[in-house]
Amino acid sequence: MSLLLTAMLFALLGAIVFSLIGLISGTDETAIMVPLTLLVILLGAPPAAVFSFFMAAVLAKHLTHAVPTALMGIPGDTTAVPLLDHATTLRRMGMPHIALRKMISGGIIGAFIALPTAVLLGQFLGQFADFFKSSTGIIFTLAAILIAYFSKGKWVSVLMIIPFAFFIKSLDLLSFTVLDKHLSISFFLGIAIGPIFADLLFATSSSAKKSIERDRPKEYHLAPETKSWKGYFPNPFKILTGRQQIFTSITTFISSLTFVFSPVGMTALMGEIVGSRTKGAYKKSTTSLTVMNGVTESTYIAEVIIPLIAFGIPLSPVALGPGSPLFNAPPVFTVDPINNLHTYLTSWDFFLYGAIGLIIASLIAYPFSMNYARKASVIVLKFVSQEAIVAMFIGLACLLAFHEAQLVGIVLTFTVAAVGGLLNRILGIGAGVQFMVFYASSWIILTLFGI
Amino acid sequence: MAQPVKETKSYLEILGDTIKPNQLLFAIIISVAISLGGYNLGLWLLPSFASESMVPSYSLLIGIGGSVLSLLLCSALFKPKRILVEEETSSESMREVFEDLQLNPEEEWALIENDPITRKELEELGVLESFRSIGGESKK
Repeated sequence: MSLLLTAMLFALLGAIVFSLIGLISGTDETAIMVPLTLLVILLGAPPAAVFSFFMAAVLAKHLTHAVPTALMGIPGDTTAVPLLDHATTLRRMGMPHIALRKMISGGIIGAFIALPTAVLLGQFLGQFADFFKSSTGIIFTLAAILIAYFSKGKWVSVLMIIPFAFFIKSLDLLSFTVLDKHLSISFFLGIAIGPIFADLLFATSSSAKKSIERDRPKEYHLAPETKSWKGYFPNPFKILTGRQQIFTSITTFISSLTFVFSPVGMTALMGEIVGSRTKGAYKKSTTSLTVMNGVTESTYIAEVIIPLIAFGIPLSPVALGPGSPLFNAPPVFTVDPINNLHTYLTSWDFFLYGAIGLIIASLIAYPFSMNYARKASVIVLKFVSQEAIVAMFIGLACLLAFHEAQLVGIVLTFTVAAVGGLLNRILGIGAGVQFMVFYASSWIILTLFGI
Repeated sequence: MAQPVKETKSYLEILGDTIKPNQLLFAIIISVAISLGGYNLGLWLLPSFASESMVPSYSLLIGIGGSVLSLLLCSALFKPKRILVEEETSSESMREVFEDLQLNPEEEWALIENDPITRKELEELGVLESFRSIGGESKK
């Protein structure tokens, strides 16, 4: 009983914190999810509560990141990019609030379809887990090649796998010599904050600075508030038409099964399929938005749950990015040997604590973004400066790295952030590829050089 | 804080939003100092009254508290550099939108008129009229 209560409290925490974070536009999923989830794990939350926290955080963040996407036409984060066109159409027609309502209603439906589907599929795939567990090294390497090829940089990402593994392993050996223990949090914090850090490096370089110089502050166009509805908790089914409900259910079910693809890719694909079958600009935009946000949500949730239940090793883009601490957060969770949520929770636990997270997030974030979307974004835009946000994340990264390995941790984190961030920003070698190479590096170097 | 107007290129875009370089530098120094300071203070003070196994966790918590504090502090010290523009949409701009997106307003209206569900939805939302005004009138 007390575990249930703890899980609920952590879910509540995740829902509140990430409802607010979602309002900050353009935030990088991985850079924010990773440090905060790590904190919860390292603070000693029970595994079930960690999972509830994560599920609540994911759903809450996606429900509120629809706010900047719909009201201002800037993506809440990378997963919202494919929705931008349709959201902009409706915003320009003066109906951003309708776009918002459709999106978050679709998201809620997607989340609740994905949870049971993913749990069942995860359990089914679990039969093959022994095979996966006994050959993690080669699987990570093959997965790294595959993910690299599908990353933005494509061939350059494939080319850089061995050099990046070499780089990681060298840092690992050096830090091992100093501390006599292997580090991992410092490594993937570095990968996670890479893009922020790359921007900061640009800012300090007199030659690269020009690319990010602006002569005036950024402009945000905020749509006016229009008619609201009665009551505090609008029924998501009433907001969608029957056709939209059916499309969302089908596409989110399908995307819960395709856990190895990127959520952004699935979102764009499903949106395109449904959109091309819908006539009229208004219907097309609203239906696409509903379906797309549902698909983002379901892919996201499935990509975390399926590898957790079935394998205990992160074998999907989300599990490698935002969800990585659930798999690997030494000394609490480790991938090699597998000692993480996979070992601590049963399929039923995943369902139960996942549902707790999703329900609590829905109760907090859904009415919040339905009722206070505009007011909240005005407050965030007016009072929370970007300086403070960037500074906070740099501070958090220092804190966690210091917690793992004092000064060595901090230096290592920023070394990885510099290299990884520039590879990411300039060459398009995404964080997912880098995480995968990090996991594969031991096997690659062992195979190549025998150490 | 007075905003210098004459200065050009005085902003940098970090993670999709504009900042003032000097202010960001100070903000980072403040944030790192408070969070690491809080953490180390915890490591130093806590052993005297907390159980040993919990010291790192509690210290971490103090450090996080420090990060949140720095968010509030830096937001107060360094105001956001954003320009907020409130938009209004009229039926005139609606027509413009359709032109921009290369959509046919009459076609759109016909589709809405023949689809009772969408029609009802738009009516409840109070925007049916704006569609009628651009797509419906030309038929009369």
